Amino acid sequence: MFSDLFIRLRSLFRRTAVESELDDELRFHLDHQVEKYAASGMTREQALRRARLEFGGLEQVKEDCRDARGITLVETLAQDLRFGLRTLRKNPGFTAVAVLTLALGIGMSAAIFSVVNAVLLRPLPYANPRQLVFVPEASSAARISDVGMSYPVFSELRDRNRVFTAIAGLARHSLTLTGNGEPSEVSTVVVTQDFFALFGIKPLLGRALLPGDGQRGAAPVVVLSENLWRSRFGGDPAIIGRSIVLDQRPFTVVGVMPAVFRTPFVSQPNQVWIPLLQDPLFSVWITQPPQEHWMPVIARLRPGVSFSQAQADLATLSAGVAKQFPVENGWVAGIRPLQQELVGDAQSPLLILFSAVGFLLLIACANIANLLLSRATARQKEMAVRIALGADRRRIACQLLTECSILGLAGGIAGVLLAWCAVSGLAPLLPPDLPRLHPVRVDGFVLAFALLLSLAASLLFGLAPALFAAGSRPQTDLRESARSGQARGSQRARGALAVAEVALAMILLVAAGLLMRSLMRLTSVNPGFEPEHVVKAEVSLPQFQYPRSQQWAAFGDQLLRRLRAQPGFEDVAIMAPLPLSDGTISLPFAIAGNAPQAQGAADTADYVTASPGYFQVMEIPLLRGRFFSDSDSMSAPAVAVISQSLARRYFPHRDPLGRRLTFAFPPSPSVPREIVGIVGDIRDDSLGRDPGPMMYVPFAQAPLWGGEVVVRSGLSPSAVAAAIAAQTHNIDNNLPVTNIATLPNLVDASTAEPRFRTRLLALFSSSALLLAGIGIFGVMSFSVSRRTQEIGTRMALGATPASVWRLVIAESVKLVALGLAVGIPAAFLLTRYLSTLLFAVHPGDPLTFVAVALLLSLVALAAAYFPARRAMRVDPIVALRCE
Amino acid sequence: MPHIDLPQGTLDLLILRALALAPQHGWAISERLRQMSSDVLRIQQGSLYPALHRLERRGWVKARWGTSENNRRAKYYQLTRRGRRRLEADQDAWEKMTAAVAQVLGTA
Repeated sequence: MFSDLFIRLRSLFRRTAVESELDDELRFHLDHQVEKYAASGMTREQALRRARLEFGGLEQVKEDCRDARGITLVETLAQDLRFGLRTLRKNPGFTAVAVLTLALGIGMSAAIFSVVNAVLLRPLPYANPRQLVFVPEASSAARISDVGMSYPVFSELRDRNRVFTAIAGLARHSLTLTGNGEPSEVSTVVVTQDFFALFGIKPLLGRALLPGDGQRGAAPVVVLSENLWRSRFGGDPAIIGRSIVLDQRPFTVVGVMPAVFRTPFVSQPNQVWIPLLQDPLFSVWITQPPQEHWMPVIARLRPGVSFSQAQADLATLSAGVAKQFPVENGWVAGIRPLQQELVGDAQSPLLILFSAVGFLLLIACANIANLLLSRATARQKEMAVRIALGADRRRIACQLLTECSILGLAGGIAGVLLAWCAVSGLAPLLPPDLPRLHPVRVDGFVLAFALLLSLAASLLFGLAPALFAAGSRPQTDLRESARSGQARGSQRARGALAVAEVALAMILLVAAGLLMRSLMRLTSVNPGFEPEHVVKAEVSLPQFQYPRSQQWAAFGDQLLRRLRAQPGFEDVAIMAPLPLSDGTISLPFAIAGNAPQAQGAADTADYVTASPGYFQVMEIPLLRGRFFSDSDSMSAPAVAVISQSLARRYFPHRDPLGRRLTFAFPPSPSVPREIVGIVGDIRDDSLGRDPGPMMYVPFAQAPLWGGEVVVRSGLSPSAVAAAIAAQTHNIDNNLPVTNIATLPNLVDASTAEPRFRTRLLALFSSSALLLAGIGIFGVMSFSVSRRTQEIGTRMALGATPASVWRLVIAESVKLVALGLAVGIPAAFLLTRYLSTLLFAVHPGDPLTFVAVALLLSLVALAAAYFPARRAMRVDPIVALRCE
Repeated sequence: MPHIDLPQGTLDLLILRALALAPQHGWAISERLRQMSSDVLRIQQGSLYPALHRLERRGWVKARWGTSENNRRAKYYQLTRRGRRRLEADQDAWEKMTAAVAQVLGTA
């Protein structure tokens, strides 16, 4: 088939030579024919005429020859592109509107896609990430799922499973790094011995942690992250073998991990890894009984082992574990892809936003299709002429599609620029647990997506006008004016597009409206405490220096006494964990005197340790009994304060005061505590979750190695923070005071994600509303100009301007009504997927639906108002004369 | 003499046949076909040249520039070996088909 290729290439690159040869060949033929006829007795002129007639259109034949040689594909494209560019340049207004609309749609889609790509599509940055699984425990009896496991259960699974090549547990907290400058907290990942082998990561310097490091009696060692090594130790390669001080205890640096390696669930770039056994806090927990589910576990599936095989093996092992430790009865270990676990709750809001931009892009396409259709109607005569002159219909359709692709690509390029600017603002959409290698950005995937999207969009908005133009009938079209009858088909298509726009805008607006109402409810919910004028700071005691709980209690006591003496400090307390920002500690408890509970089905409540004064700082009301006082010391009888919902749920018919609760926060042993007070409920987990049962213990009786210092004061937050830091450093200059914040800010921050999501959706839906308005305006004003003559006739026959106005408005009302008739049920069906994101708002919330429908109708009527006014002012004489 | 529209694809066969004896230029091919068919087949010149260019692209004929009988530069078409094989195959198929069609029409 070389001749084929050769001829095609020659046609393409030696165009002038081929063209002149074609000329010569055809002229030779004509000359011969003329001579033949001349020889038969015709005059020269007659002969020429006859030969020409017989031959037909010379250009047509040439075109057919070019087709036959196969030049056309590339050449046609080039020609169409040139022609398209010229047409678009001649209509700068149209082009600008179309490109901008598209850029908006494609840009927003590409920006959201870049997040979807980074979060949902890209594999985790580990070797063979598909083999990595999260191994949580769950108990259907206790209705608890997705929790970590205790060390004894973990060791059972590690030693007996046949489905994993490696399994490791981790925990995280902060240790204080001293020496080399200011004391600072470093995010410390506490790992079991196979952790680095599990991820298959090679150290940048030195070595990873080895199983030997995790044995009892081994020397304390630490692995640094590249970031910490560079920022804190100047990237000194001699760091290996040196020791650093964590919580006042020396650790020998054995390795540095490259920056590309991030621990799952721990997103800070500055981190260190130490063996579980060397950790001052968690090493104690190894011996804790199995019911404490504190350690997240990750494993790597053996190649060839399926998920169900692994599940089955784990179920068998869990049954064995339950025989060994009866408290584990009912608890089963399962597996879940690690990526899914890390992406967590981020998936559904992301997909919802992604669908929302998809709808927005569809509306944009509908709008451009509308513009193109009205242009196609205006170009109807041009098309009719071209077809009458022998243009191929398919060729015309192709040419129009080429024109649309130019628009699409221009919009795509502008959109990518927009996305490029927008992606950095989308960080709040990222799940906090997902270890990110690269920031979200416009990369090859996103570019490819945008390209595909712009081509698909061009096809979408270009198809209807192209078909319309190709369907042109020269006989009728040339006779009639572009304004009259023939445009009816296109007008119907334009009406359908406007209806679709209204329907899509309805869906988006309902979604945004629901989220906004939900957000309003969420932010106006009463958390149960008063955050105004409260400042908090975190103080942490190095545990090697302060190993005993008596020291912690003494420190707390001393710090509180100093802070209480500060002028302007109304109330102060030390406590943990702080509601709405530190997470919660859910502990099983038992009520003394009640029948023992079934194994594995313990009642739980959120645990808080707080010094006297905490309830006053937070203005949590006392309902019965008393608050803690300074006399509730370590040596005094153990006491507890419970929340109203714990009292209601577990003491329905009896007075809880004077009764005893038994619970333990490791490493303190279980002690029965007398209930001395009942306080109001607070929302500690999130504003969106109803308050659950809570129990408080005096900090002096259950101290921690530091905690949150909370102060109620009318002073400025910075003055309060400075005083806290100064007083802490007066006690010990090496103590880090970190995470200083005002409580109102923390409460706001706890709703940052839904707020951001709502703002995005509001942006999308207001764009949708604007586009739908423009769409209706376009359809109506075109309809009015098409019907000028008709309106003129009506007015000449006595119609009043008001009735003409009504005529036009009625047409737009019909469009909106149809749009709503489609949009409302569609929105009703689709908002169900929003229900997980909604707080105290039903997805079918009638108020939202009604308000949105009204808003849309108002906008549509406003859009129809101007065309209607124009129709009203049609001068019958002018209108009738212009045809 | 009434002339008949050619069935689809026959034009290629006729051109190949006209070239079977000797290389020809386009005008001569059309003249030759007219003569060979006793004036019944009149080739639309508008379709002759595109057909020639198509056959050339398919590699069934080869074109070269030569000098015509009246001393002008003319483009001569010549059968290639593949063209000749094609002609034989097509001619064979054509004969079978016409015979069959004739038989059907004859028996009716």
